[in-house]
Amino acid sequence: MIKIQVDMEKCQHYGQCVYEAPNVFKLNESDKLEYTATADDSELANVRAATDVCPMQAITIVD
Amino acid sequence: MIVGAAMGGLRTAESLRRFGFTGGITLVGAESHLPYNRPPLSKDFLAKGKSLADIAFPIRHEELQAEFILADPARSLDIDGSTLGLESGAKHNFDYLVAATGLRPKRFSFPNDLNQGRHVLRTYDDARSLRGAVAPERRVVIFGAGFIGLELAATLRTLGCTINIVAIEEIPLAGILGDTFGREIRRRHEREGVNFHLGLSIEDLIGTTRIEGVVLSDGTELHCDILIEAVGSIPNVDWLTGNGLDLSNGVLTDQTLRVMNELGTSSDRVFAVGDIARFPYVAQSLPARRVEHWNIPIESAKWVGRQICHQDKPGLIPDLQTGERFNPLPSFWSDQFSISILSYGEPKLANESPLVEGEISDEFIMSYRRDGELVGIAGIGMRRELNKLRGEIRL
Ligand SMILES: Cc1cc2nc3c(=O)[nH]c(=O)nc-3n(C[C@H](O)[C@H](O)[C@H](O)COP(=O)(O)OP(=O)(O)OC[C@H]3O[C@@H](n4cnc5c(N)ncnc54)[C@H](O)[C@@H]3O)c2cc1C
Ligand code: SF4
Repeated sequence: MIKIQVDMEKCQHYGQCVYEAPNVFKLNESDKLEYTATADDSELANVRAATDVCPMQAITIVD
Repeated sequence: MIVGAAMGGLRTAESLRRFGFTGGITLVGAESHLPYNRPPLSKDFLAKGKSLADIAFPIRHEELQAEFILADPARSLDIDGSTLGLESGAKHNFDYLVAATGLRPKRFSFPNDLNQGRHVLRTYDDARSLRGAVAPERRVVIFGAGFIGLELAATLRTLGCTINIVAIEEIPLAGILGDTFGREIRRRHEREGVNFHLGLSIEDLIGTTRIEGVVLSDGTELHCDILIEAVGSIPNVDWLTGNGLDLSNGVLTDQTLRVMNELGTSSDRVFAVGDIARFPYVAQSLPARRVEHWNIPIESAKWVGRQICHQDKPGLIPDLQTGERFNPLPSFWSDQFSISILSYGEPKLANESPLVEGEISDEFIMSYRRDGELVGIAGIGMRRELNKLRGEIRL
């Protein structure tokens, strides 16, 4: 299991993460980010990619 | 050896390790800081008093096992002799070399070439010096109406400065996002009290020891305390000279990001990533181009790490096919006041740009087509719809 944290103070809802890890991140009806706080280990590569592409550097994978 | 210790360099080192590279990795950087994120420099760093620690990239040193040589820029490269020379006189040998030295701001020279009160913005040090100079009521002239000029205008206006933007072009951002988009950006800036002097250049500076004003090409004089030059950038390729490479605009690479000489032969050991890499299109028959967007260092670094691992230990990357070509989707965002622009692809290639959804005066999406084919999309707001279209872009 991996744990994911998004700093919602930083997040600007660009949705770049959604493209990299669609099972974890999505933009809701009002264009705001929603995400699952935990994900399967198989998502690690995708979540790491999301962490890299987030313009606000808002995503952290909690060890 | 990775030359350039900023985002492109760091991501290359990370990618090398992720794909299984076990050799030594050294990053050489001109700045004295470990890699940090540049985009906040024109935004929150100035507006909200952020520190270097706030914008530094997290680095997992145990995983990365990389050596950083900082504040010692590369000065010479001999590809055939496999040596890199640094300013300090140190020489380093390499098996592979990645060029990630990015850009520096263009500077003008004026007859009355004053220095005090003049700024550019590329590095943390630049931003700190600018932050030290701004205060409410300061009169600021920004030369250039590109993204950095406009973002600075918005940030400094919010901080209470008076802003005059001077730019050669008639419509800001027109060359990048088209006339309609550009006019709307101008309207929104004017609504916030930013003044534009378009179709004009700065001819000279006024002042004796420090800048007190500028003279425009139509004779207008604007008084100011601060002048910021945001008129584009120059690729840092000087250290690559003498190897027969095509350095006419950044460094020319082939489809795999291996650098190419003027005869069109690719190097087998030298790669380029990020803002300095001029790489070919895949789907468009247009000359190779550089892309100065934040996601390009990320994508190119990932790519180069994988290529090097494959070449170093054949079989390490089983899914790498011969003939694969680097074909990233450039993506760009920009925050100015409450305006948040998001763009994918290369809208500037378009010869038509219809509105797809929304209203120009509010939230909208424009699509950019070249001979009918989608080459870019850009908009303000409407993120979900915008993100849905990005998969259809062909470059
Ligand atoms: C103020 C600002 C705001 C931005 N905002 C946005 C934005 O909102 N959205 C967006 O998409 N993009 C934005 N960008 C662009 C984005 O930051 C760049 O595309 C990105 O930084 C490029 O990374 P890079 O690693 O290729 O080059 P750089 O970040 O330029 O790094 C190159 C490094 O190499 C070093 N170097 C240079 N010469 C040598 C040498 N001879 N030897 C050793 N080291 C050397 C430099 O000092 C530098 O540290 C912004 C850029 C700036 C400056
Ligand atoms: S990429 Fe970053 S800023 Fe964008 S929605 Fe995801 S977390 Fe938020």
